[in-house]
Amino acid sequence: MSTHSHFVIIGSGGAGSEAALIIRKRDPKCTITQITGSKLPFISRYELPRVFDGVDNWRDLLAHPPEFYDDNAITVRRNSWVDHVDAKNKKVLLRHKEEVSYDKLLVASGGGGYLPEGLREFRPLMNGLGSYEDAVKMRQALPSKGHVIMLGGDMTGLDLARTLVAVGHKVTLVAGEQLFWPHEVEEKKEKKFVTVLEAMGVKVVLGKKVMAIRKGAKGEPARRVVFDDGGGINGDAVMPFCGLMPALDFMIGANVDIERGLLVNPELKTTNDSIWAAGDVCQIWSPEENSYLFYYGWHHIKEMGEIAAINMTGGKKKISTYQDDHLYINKQGDIDSPYWMYR
Amino acid sequence: MQRNGKKATDLQIAICGSAGDGTIAAGDMVKRAMARAGYKVIAFDVYPPEIRGFGKCISRVRVTSEQVFSLKPKSDVLISLDDSHAIPHVGEVKDYGAVIYEDMPVTMVPEGGHISGHLLSSHLPYGVPFRELSERVTSSARSRNIAVVGYLAGLYGMPRDVFYAVISDKFKTKPAVLTKMSIQTFDAAFEVGENTFRLDEGVLKPPPKKAKHGELVMMSGNGAIAKGCMDAGLDTFFGYPITPATTIMERLAVDLPKQGKRMLQTEDEISAISAAIGAGYTGARAATATSGPGFALMSEMMGLGTMAEVPVVIFVSQRGGPSTGMPTKTEQSDLNIAVFGAAGDGQRIVLAPTNVEGCYKCAGKAFEIAERYQTPVVVLLDLYLSNRYEAVALPAKNPFAANCSKPVGKLGKDQPYHRYALTRDFISPRAIPGDKGRRHAVTGLEHDENGRPNDHTHEMMSRKRHEKLHSVVRYPGITMSKRFGDKGKVDVAIIGWGSTFGEILEAMIIARDEGIRCAAMKVVLLSPLPMEPINALLADAAEVLVPELNYEGQFANLLTGTTGRAVTRLNRVPGTPMHVEDIVDEIRRLAAKKKGRKALAAE
Repeated sequence: MSTHSHFVIIGSGGAGSEAALIIRKRDPKCTITQITGSKLPFISRYELPRVFDGVDNWRDLLAHPPEFYDDNAITVRRNSWVDHVDAKNKKVLLRHKEEVSYDKLLVASGGGGYLPEGLREFRPLMNGLGSYEDAVKMRQALPSKGHVIMLGGDMTGLDLARTLVAVGHKVTLVAGEQLFWPHEVEEKKEKKFVTVLEAMGVKVVLGKKVMAIRKGAKGEPARRVVFDDGGGINGDAVMPFCGLMPALDFMIGANVDIERGLLVNPELKTTNDSIWAAGDVCQIWSPEENSYLFYYGWHHIKEMGEIAAINMTGGKKKISTYQDDHLYINKQGDIDSPYWMYR
Repeated sequence: MQRNGKKATDLQIAICGSAGDGTIAAGDMVKRAMARAGYKVIAFDVYPPEIRGFGKCISRVRVTSEQVFSLKPKSDVLISLDDSHAIPHVGEVKDYGAVIYEDMPVTMVPEGGHISGHLLSSHLPYGVPFRELSERVTSSARSRNIAVVGYLAGLYGMPRDVFYAVISDKFKTKPAVLTKMSIQTFDAAFEVGENTFRLDEGVLKPPPKKAKHGELVMMSGNGAIAKGCMDAGLDTFFGYPITPATTIMERLAVDLPKQGKRMLQTEDEISAISAAIGAGYTGARAATATSGPGFALMSEMMGLGTMAEVPVVIFVSQRGGPSTGMPTKTEQSDLNIAVFGAAGDGQRIVLAPTNVEGCYKCAGKAFEIAERYQTPVVVLLDLYLSNRYEAVALPAKNPFAANCSKPVGKLGKDQPYHRYALTRDFISPRAIPGDKGRRHAVTGLEHDENGRPNDHTHEMMSRKRHEKLHSVVRYPGITMSKRFGDKGKVDVAIIGWGSTFGEILEAMIIARDEGIRCAAMKVVLLSPLPMEPINALLADAAEVLVPELNYEGQFANLLTGTTGRAVTRLNRVPGTPMHVEDIVDEIRRLAAKKKGRKALAAE
């Protein structure tokens, strides 16, 4: 297939990047524009822990070198933010007041770090890990053999915890509802995994609710996490890892169905014929479960990008909605997850 | 740029906008502040022809810790004040360089009209709401260019105090509130820049040492010409505006009256040169400045200056030609008209400085030389040199001498004064109208020693007018030519003139670093040529390369014609400065050619 269509992809993460490449392979003459708020070409969030492991240049973390995009004639509009999608006129309005017309649109804007309501007011006192810049700022804030307090405990956070411990930092995990998210772990197995986690060097605090985060007193570490029982712990940095929240504000009013994510069929098409969705942003109809489900993890994300691209270019492929992504203990006796199999 | 294996400061910033955006003013602030901070600075501004007053402006500033001699073909940072003008220059940003732009325009942008859609994948985008920043502080978007400067300074950690000083200087004649608001705008934007996570690879290390006040002065080529004129005691200037020479006249229009002297804008270039020759005839130090089309009009009067032996200085800033050509593009294509352009055997003196400091020296010395040799002196500049800024160290003591004419001396009783007396050095003692007992006639007709028309003296007088110029190659206090690089035998010699010599020098340094034996020579005196050093270099060189910004190879022709030596020409007419890489490539090719010949001979 070869057209002169304009494919616009909102997002340059795993799904968006995979989709761009597949579209280019299937349609050599089309125009592809990716729009992303990031200043850098695509870096997987699972690569970011390497910043703490001595990687000093963002170029070493890129999924593809810059020339990859030029060679494949994929325009990546970085540092650009989508304000609104005008589905009727097939236009994307950017924050800097420029409209970009599309023939087919893929929404692959991913998710931002979710922060439970009780913690939101303390955001300025926490460090995120949403981008390379966040990772470097965090590294700079951390003294040698520093102490990081993690809240929540999703799999991205645990991936970082492994690296931090390996390079000599101390990690205390204040486990929340999101422990091991997006894995759903039975209570019985959870205890076993926590034991393994502690054996890996991560101190786990269970059953405590965080009430406040404060600046450390003079001469003390930079942060103090206060619990509901009045106690607390001191650390050099506090990082929330409480799962992801689809980034979708710009799709409101775009004439597509949204629940928590963009609702799509197994072919990843939304309720609008010109708009598809892929990655952490979409909820896919699962006939087995008779409901819309999120599918997380690197391999799912990549597959969604591929399937959306195939279908946007005239194919007809359905995603397998069967999930079998379990947390497990590997041969070395460490916790492992299929979500970490990105390298 | 690397020194001892470590990256040294080498940051080239290009600011691009529309006339009225304050683009050139922003570049001016950056270059002055950086020079004040103690960095080496070289800068080049391009703006539309003044006669129109709209269009694209670009200010390029290269900030380094080590001395460099030219701008880089690719900048480390591009700042857009007007995307429609800046988009075509995105390709001039190096890989992993920064593009800084307005990300909160006031009106809708047409599809494809925003610069963020044109960046290469290796560029780092920095979108900043400059308009909003400016409005927040001053309630107006007019200080947007100062916000740009503040952001840049914050992003790269430039010292604030030097910018405060530059801003205060800039607004010193305006109400104090303007300075205050400008500094507030600068500070607000500086803070944004300082808190921006920098991802590009531009290098700006702290300056080695801060320049003492007055030690270094940021000057353009035309500014240095005007300064040289003033220090040499210019009495009067006549001119007609023409890009890129106009700023010489504008500067002198301000400076001359302060000393009770005059600048007069004439009705055209013919009047300007005529008036300047008239003033020179009366003993005044007089000059005019023009560009190619104006210089063409002056050629008849140039002949009069030569024939009547009247000192006058003509500054010619070259631009793309022929005819009206490309008023805002640089070129070196007026060498032929400067050296040969007049009726008859009208040899004259032509000087071509190669940098801004050279502009100052050539301007001042041109008056001495014109007086000493009683003939027109042409100082050849070009748009690149006229508009180029460099941090210049001016001498503490005025280096120029007043009245360099050969004095008449005491005449015996009843001994007549001969204005065109034949002497051993062919230079006649010069009197000016009004000198008691030195009455004389001056004419454009061929004449005898007394100045009376006489065809029979033509051979003798032609010889006089030519021979008197020969000693100018040894005129003191000015470098007429200079050799750089390897001494003795070299694989490649590069000979150049004018503004291109900066690129030649950079290319030679790169080639030598690569192990190629080479030398470069700048020739400042283009007529008559300093043959002795040129011949010495040619004798040492296996290959000779002459890079210049004209199509014909005008200097190469001049060299070949006078020396008989074949040279390799490197001619470009893109309207922009020559690329260092082009020269380096040619040096490599010639060096390889020499090596190949040697290998063949060994076989």
